Amino acid sequence: MTGSRPEDAGRGAGALDLPVVHVNDEGMPWREGLDLAAVVASRGVDPRAVATALNGRFVPRGQRADTPVAPGDQVVLLQPIVGG
Amino acid sequence: MTMTTKTPTAAPGAASIRQPWTVAGHVLPGRLLLGSAGYPSPEVLHEALVASGAGAVTVGLKRMAAAGGDNGFLRGVHEAASALGARLLPNTAGCRTADEAVALAHMAAELFDTRWVKLEVVGDEHTLQPDPWELLRAAERLVRDGFDVFPYCTDDLVTCRRLLDAGCEVLMPWGAPIGSGQGLLNPFALRTLRARLPEAVLVVDAGLGAPSHAAAAMELGFDAVLLNSAVAQARDPVAMARAFAHAVAAGRLAHEAGLMAPQAMAVPSTPVTGRPFLLGEGA
Repeated sequence: MTGSRPEDAGRGAGALDLPVVHVNDEGMPWREGLDLAAVVASRGVDPRAVATALNGRFVPRGQRADTPVAPGDQVVLLQPIVGG
Repeated sequence: MTMTTKTPTAAPGAASIRQPWTVAGHVLPGRLLLGSAGYPSPEVLHEALVASGAGAVTVGLKRMAAAGGDNGFLRGVHEAASALGARLLPNTAGCRTADEAVALAHMAAELFDTRWVKLEVVGDEHTLQPDPWELLRAAERLVRDGFDVFPYCTDDLVTCRRLLDAGCEVLMPWGAPIGSGQGLLNPFALRTLRARLPEAVLVVDAGLGAPSHAAAAMELGFDAVLLNSAVAQARDPVAMARAFAHAVAAGRLAHEAGLMAPQAMAVPSTPVTGRPFLLGEGA
């Protein structure tokens, strides 16, 4: 999914070597103008049903549309579950 | 998935064992705090929570699954908590650093609409014991961010003092490693915490396996207990939840009634004088 060199962190594997964003450790193609709200929308879930973090930092729901995502960025989407 | 319409049966006199108490500005209906993980079905989870009379229910976060949803478990939690008047207490399970825990706490606050957080920052994968330094760093930051922080901590008195100094009103020292069911491994340390931190709200969290463990913690003067596996993994979780409810109530009542002091030797309880059947000299 990613190259082994640091400079390859934003790139996918394969001949086209396209830039990717890592969403819950899965590669997602990056495009110009991609923001966090679009990343959430791409998963087909209710935006209120997940919480988001970008590169380890929490991003409130209301700020997702104003949060650009760059190649190589790590996005984490969390959902509520039972817990101890 | 539709919830069962079966009405959970309460033990006789269950209503009388409810012990409302106030913590972090909220009145909770009971001093048993219950985790929601590991139950065999959403229906059993719902019935166990109601039978427990829990004052708070812990929940968590995980990476979003492709299919989404949780097969109805969370709905059972919300319905039971609403029926009980219990609060949700999200945890930061799985975090190893203060940064991770702080981010997770904020995410939980947004999803569960609460500023309560059970702060877990683990330092060892086998014992799951807290990393006290990262725990303290996370607690300081989250208190500044306006959270009511319930730190899961060890029974170390100095660490507990630092957490109180950081602004935590509640401490949750372990009884034994999470999920181990071993009970109160170090009663001396727990007794010390109670004696040296009289104003703190103390909740024994982790490692309780039997209702007798919970009763013992309450008899020591702890304000509440939190457990999960002991109920979820019981053969009959609903009955076990009820048993823990009674044990917590009994332990609290005993503490308030004033336990007798243990004696090294026998002290006769029947007020006889001498030896009743020996006549004459020495009778």
